[in-house]
Amino acid sequence: MTPSRTEPSASPPFGQQPFAGLDRAAVARALSQLADRPGDLADAWFERSEEVELPPEDRPPGVRVRREEGLAVRLLRTGAPPGSGTSAGGSHTGTGGCESWLAARDVISAEAFGEALRQASRVLPAAAYPRPEVAPAAWPGAAEAPEVLAFPAAVHRCVRQRRTAFPVALTVRRHRRWVQVVGSGKLVPEPQAEGFYSVVAELPWGRWGALFPALGAAEAEVVATALVERFRAREAPPPDPFRGAVVLAPAAAAVLLHEAVAHALEADLLALGGDPEAAVGVRFGSPLLNVLDDPAAAPEAVRRSSDDEGNGVRRRWLLRGGVVAEPLADSRWAARSDVLAPGAGRRADRHHRPSPRSTCLELVPGDQDDAALFAGADGGLHLAEAEGGDLDPLTGTFRLRFASGRRIRDGAPGEPVGACRLHGRVADLLEAVSGVGRRATPGGAGWCAKDGHKLPVWATCPALRLDGVEIVP
Amino acid sequence: MNGPPRPAGPLREGPSSGGFEPRLAETLEALAGGGFAEAEAYAKRGRSRRLLLATDQRSGSFHDERGWAVRGATARASLFACGTGDLDPGTPWPQPDGLPLPLPDPDAGGAAAAWSEPSDYESPLIGETEGLRLLDAVERALDDEMPHARLLAAHLEDGSSDSRLANRRGVAARWRLRVAVLRAEAAAGGARVSVELAAREARRFGPAAVARQLADRLTVAAAGTPEGFTGRDRGELLLAPAVAARLLAALAPLLVGPAALRLVAPLRDRRGRVAADRLSIVDDGRLPGGVLEAPVDGEGMPTRAVTLIEAGTFRQPLLSWRDAREIGDARVRPSGCVRRASWRDVPSTAPGHLYVVPDPAVPPTDLLADLARGYYLLDTAGEPAVDWRDGTFRVPVLGFSVQGGRARAPVAGVWLAGSLRALLGGVQGVGRDLTFFPYDGMIGAPSLRLTGLELRARG
Repeated sequence: MTPSRTEPSASPPFGQQPFAGLDRAAVARALSQLADRPGDLADAWFERSEEVELPPEDRPPGVRVRREEGLAVRLLRTGAPPGSGTSAGGSHTGTGGCESWLAARDVISAEAFGEALRQASRVLPAAAYPRPEVAPAAWPGAAEAPEVLAFPAAVHRCVRQRRTAFPVALTVRRHRRWVQVVGSGKLVPEPQAEGFYSVVAELPWGRWGALFPALGAAEAEVVATALVERFRAREAPPPDPFRGAVVLAPAAAAVLLHEAVAHALEADLLALGGDPEAAVGVRFGSPLLNVLDDPAAAPEAVRRSSDDEGNGVRRRWLLRGGVVAEPLADSRWAARSDVLAPGAGRRADRHHRPSPRSTCLELVPGDQDDAALFAGADGGLHLAEAEGGDLDPLTGTFRLRFASGRRIRDGAPGEPVGACRLHGRVADLLEAVSGVGRRATPGGAGWCAKDGHKLPVWATCPALRLDGVEIVP
Repeated sequence: MNGPPRPAGPLREGPSSGGFEPRLAETLEALAGGGFAEAEAYAKRGRSRRLLLATDQRSGSFHDERGWAVRGATARASLFACGTGDLDPGTPWPQPDGLPLPLPDPDAGGAAAAWSEPSDYESPLIGETEGLRLLDAVERALDDEMPHARLLAAHLEDGSSDSRLANRRGVAARWRLRVAVLRAEAAAGGARVSVELAAREARRFGPAAVARQLADRLTVAAAGTPEGFTGRDRGELLLAPAVAARLLAALAPLLVGPAALRLVAPLRDRRGRVAADRLSIVDDGRLPGGVLEAPVDGEGMPTRAVTLIEAGTFRQPLLSWRDAREIGDARVRPSGCVRRASWRDVPSTAPGHLYVVPDPAVPPTDLLADLARGYYLLDTAGEPAVDWRDGTFRVPVLGFSVQGGRARAPVAGVWLAGSLRALLGGVQGVGRDLTFFPYDGMIGAPSLRLTGLELRARG
């Protein structure tokens, strides 16, 4: 059925928790056999995921369904003494370093768990493998996603209503994931579930993508608006290089903050340049920037009460008044520090280890309305959506790419401009923030692919104004 | 259209089952019973060991992979479904949608040549201790080569897989793969470089060679743009295999799939040539010794060598049987070139071993000695960007300036740029040092001597 303008957006339901029958106590007892030294952490990860994909209509197979489940057992040995590993030595295992061992299976069964336990422990004799009951509930019947099937038609209708027409190939996906983490020596958290949608549009003049916690008429309007904007800017020349004012709409500000604040304050990336704790208290940007990460405040369909290591999430201030308050950390980094706290460990799936990542960023709104943000910015650019960005954690160099934008004329967005990049050192860019909008907009910040581990990230941001920043084609 | 469905035939190539007997036939029957006239079932098992040496940590993991996928089509629509675990004929299939999807007959890809599975496909995965020692050895060797350099991370993955496939038209195939990848990142001063290599077994990686490559690149990258570089230079160039292969990977749209014909058209000269005489490009899914060497592709069609560019003349793009049918030109030869990146992925046309044909008589040192004044480019420092509309490219590179056949000074912070026509037409010499790199497939090139391109300072 095709959604109408008045129809509410569909959120994935999560009634069917597959891990209700899992014997968590027995799993925890089994894991305690692995964690036999001070500072050891052993955990088990059980996951089930489903993706329903509707590709562009001329690209069969016409519907694609991926259903996965599996488990992983991990032993994390922090503070490993030199040479405790299997290696002949090297600078990566000094005191304070850590070792981690993981075994992953594409099946959830007592036998698979026992095997994974044996492989992660690397020492348990075969006879000692506990085999608790871990089988998940059976998959429900065939996957159905009527809201996904109806979405392309809804987008095309919205585009037509704007009196435009152009070729566009839409791929729409519904993503669902159920997770249960059991760790040794700590309370077992509630199972977690996430569900959201992704949309990718291929246009003759580039690609566009977005994440949504729900899918319906409102999201079709959002997609159509973005595509029409891209269509109208298709032949606009890129701006000449300049240094000046830029106003980032909330969606673009979310990408900036994800790349320039969240990634920059991940403990593992901070460690590339030195001690992650040393970042605390450092002035990192304009005093107008108050940024936090709060997975519990994410849109309801992706909200989390615990992270992917089973630690409770919390409202974590990253920047207060432009000063670093607390880096993002997982169990590995928190175990070695009195300053870093866990709760921000995320993992793409059973085959990857957790690492510190943000889930849902918030930029605390400021006091400026649109008129104030645009005031005196004539000749600068209004940039609605960023295509992506990247940060070099060693040099602090940062780039944010835009497919199009608009020149600011008479205190408002004017004629379109083509592709351009905002680049510079992270600290300089964040210091250049001179205004924060008063109206925050929640939404998907996009896919984050740190080290190839792809995860959705969310944000609630107002618009941002930056002055004196460099824009290049 | 293809003929009517047939019962599955005998396995095409491949050794004994090794205890892995997925329920392909029952699944095809179940799909047929569900109204899918076209049906294909695929199952895969894999094992891999991954080792990591990184900032303040060492880790190891073992992965046991089990997945399956089916494709089915009615006369009006089609579906793809996949999952973990064992293939179960009782799986509830989703409703098909979109357009129908034809699947291949056993002879759709042409006759299969004989093939014997390499003996190293049976070799065990690298052990945890052995693998970590290899990574430690890379770190120590880097310390010897360049004491102030720091190994940021070294990843080693060693894996093997076994795949089975059957369709209702009678295709039945089995193939195995044995792939190892080593990736190392290092930093010195403000410079950061990485090296990525692939081989059939992790034991084939040499720590000293990896460390030397890292140290060479760090030495050059730290130098920055040389003094006196005026912003543009059109000297002669020698591209090391890493640079040439990265460019070839970026040019894959010119060479792969039906859309290549549209992209290659503006590059043809009046005689139909697109490149210099010395340039020939081949794709071969069963290249002996190749990392992805297999008798069949992801649809069970036989792999073979296909010449795409022969002595400068474009012969044809790399085409699957389905692509060839879409083009409808009887002169093109399809080959088994449909890849399943994993059991999760819908099969699609992709290179197996795509490479520039080397000249066995030319050592790369001869190419360097011939360079009167120019640049020897060792590696890329980022992704190439190709503008297909105006037929140009640019890629950040690093290397050395050269005079009289000898390296003079390091060069970094520059783009190699020019037109695609100049890139393909400017090949003056081809070395014998063919080296493959893991991009989208294994992409290989020897050293190439070029004229007609320029180096530009990066702004």
